[in-house]
Amino acid sequence: MSISQYNGSAMIAMTGKGCVGIAADRRLGIRNMTKACDFKKVFQVNDKILVGFSGLATDLQTLEQRLRMRCNMYKLREEREISIEAFGNLVASMQYEKRFGYYFVEPVIAGLKADNSPYLMSSDIIGAQCFKDDFVVAGDTAETLFGMCESVYRPDLGPEELFEVLSQCLLSGVDRDCLAGWGATVYIMTPEGVRETHLKGRMD
Amino acid sequence: MSTASIAQALNEQRGGFDFELAKRNAALEGAGMKVPRATKTGTTIVGMVYKDGVVLGADTRSTQGPTVADKNCQKIHYIADNIWCCGAGTAADTEFTTALISSKVELHRMATGKQPRLVTALTMLKRLLFRYQGHVGAALILGGVDCNGPALYQVYPHGSTDYLPYVTMGSGSVNAMAIFESEYKDGLTQEEAMKLVHKAVLSGIFNDLGSGSNVDLCVITREGHTLHRGYDQPNPRRFRYPGGFTYTNGTTPTLSSSFTPSRTPAAVVGGAGMEVDA
Amino acid sequence: MMDLAFLDAPFTPACAGTDEPDGHALDALDAARPAMLGPQRALMPNLSEVQEHLKIVHGTTTLAFKYKSGVVVAVDSRASAGAYIASQNVKKVIEINQFLLGTMAGGAADCQYWQRYLGMRCRLFELNHKERISVAAASKLFQNILCGYRGYGLSIGTMVAGWDHKGPGLYYLDSEGARIEGNLFSVGSGSLFAYGILDSNYKYDMEFADAIELGRRAIYHATHNDAYSGGTVRVYHIDGKGWRRISEDDATVLHYQYNPGKK
Repeated sequence: MSISQYNGSAMIAMTGKGCVGIAADRRLGIRNMTKACDFKKVFQVNDKILVGFSGLATDLQTLEQRLRMRCNMYKLREEREISIEAFGNLVASMQYEKRFGYYFVEPVIAGLKADNSPYLMSSDIIGAQCFKDDFVVAGDTAETLFGMCESVYRPDLGPEELFEVLSQCLLSGVDRDCLAGWGATVYIMTPEGVRETHLKGRMD
Repeated sequence: MSTASIAQALNEQRGGFDFELAKRNAALEGAGMKVPRATKTGTTIVGMVYKDGVVLGADTRSTQGPTVADKNCQKIHYIADNIWCCGAGTAADTEFTTALISSKVELHRMATGKQPRLVTALTMLKRLLFRYQGHVGAALILGGVDCNGPALYQVYPHGSTDYLPYVTMGSGSVNAMAIFESEYKDGLTQEEAMKLVHKAVLSGIFNDLGSGSNVDLCVITREGHTLHRGYDQPNPRRFRYPGGFTYTNGTTPTLSSSFTPSRTPAAVVGGAGMEVDA
Repeated sequence: MMDLAFLDAPFTPACAGTDEPDGHALDALDAARPAMLGPQRALMPNLSEVQEHLKIVHGTTTLAFKYKSGVVVAVDSRASAGAYIASQNVKKVIEINQFLLGTMAGGAADCQYWQRYLGMRCRLFELNHKERISVAAASKLFQNILCGYRGYGLSIGTMVAGWDHKGPGLYYLDSEGARIEGNLFSVGSGSLFAYGILDSNYKYDMEFADAIELGRRAIYHATHNDAYSGGTVRVYHIDGKGWRRISEDDATVLHYQYNPGKK
């Protein structure tokens, strides 16, 4: 039994034309037992930043709360919102700080830079950043998600089409994964705001 | 501020590694849980000195077990304008080690007002790596030009170093070294040196499973540096479905949807950035 | 050099005696006993590790219960290899003959092969005795096979259900050699979830429609709660006229049917 399979998760982030999105499943399990179908794994930090965490649920919540504290402190000290570039580095640094006793979490960050161009980053469990301009995936069966994204993704998708591509990639991916699924949520971020949509997915 | 909170504040600022979760993780592992491992750069990195400079080369594949995590990552890291560093091993370790030394070298440059020397960076790197006894898994090739001319060093994860005219590291090091051993000559021109380094990296890309994708080169001379990101791209994606797949709007069944508008007008950019330039 | 001496060793039955009444073992019956002593043990010292990779269908929910007018058998249809879903369309009810059903939990190949073999043995019994085999006898045949291979690494958890001269019959068997008669069983990783529904609603005197719905609902709940169960909920019914397939429903369709207002 792997720790990344203890709670189960699946997550994809993608860039579009002037928009980004994160899709994540909703399951919280304890090994084979599904405990909840409304577990929150994606968080909006501010108007420009979405962050999702895949991995061990307890670490996911701890890391999210600590990050929120750091972002609030940043806002109070600097009197401005943290930029997504800085946020990406903050997440990676907080992970690498625990290099020899790490959070079992793989973060996925998507958002818009100051000029509203897309930003996409994923990080491994100890904070090795990976910057991409197309898509990143995380979860206990990342391979199946990779497979979907590699064939279906196209650059410069609009928000509506990005939503469909993200949704279809995630739903197809989790339909081959025992430990993820039970509904999904897709967040599409544009300069105007964030649309959060709950998908109708398989519940078994 | 109470003594306890001052101590806490100092503790927060202390820096360095935090072992808070180390015991828990060891206990989980001891209980038979499989612990996920960090991303590795099963890598081919090479470096070579030529007549008036140094050429560094690297592939661009990073792996997580059998999966290619990133098809185009950058393994040639910036230390200073005249010093660059190739990294192999644990991705996070190479990334953060070089970034840390880069900023220390920059502070040193500001303090001394002189161009940084390779040995300075080298000593900082090997001290750091030796202190962690190989647990910081960074295998590095440090190259550049300083007041003593071009130089090339190899740094092992345990902190030992070598000073050589041509070096290779990573899982593809043997493949690349085969090329160097058979074709290296003293006093090559820049063009010849780039050609040879290119060939050595390709040898790793095609013959080592841990290495792949593109060739990055970095040429450093007395005049400055040139980073050739994607110098050669011998593995382009082929056979893509023409035009791509399209889903018409409404393909995916949904349960509910909500919209949160941005609090700030879309066009306004946050306050001025912190002044960091020298 | 690997010791392959066991390949030449004379055939040694792991369990003595034959279940053929006339004492003549048919050639085909030899399969009922291992051909050599622990081949996996000899060739694969790390057997459990190898099994992890080979075995498909570890997670499953199957159930069967007797009630006043027959036996209900219900199963899911998911096959998994680790966290990966290998198939959502597995037939976990094995139709041994017109009056006998077997269910599948554990290793897919183990269950399929041995229940197919059991089907052959039951047919041979019919030809020899000019009457249908009883559920008790069929399950006993199966138990003898499983006992013969005990400790060889088979992974089988099955229910043999049917109808014979005594009425409904239901037995639970596993690769450890157990054979238990009972009114209600559930087997597999999702069995506890199914038991939760079954135990609180099961009554021996219930009507046909209620019995079918109970089986279906129990499997649906197991597919929802257990990660390794899912796909299609199949329900079978056995009575004096033999078995019938009653329904096959997608588990997700059932979910939205059972929870109309739920998001």
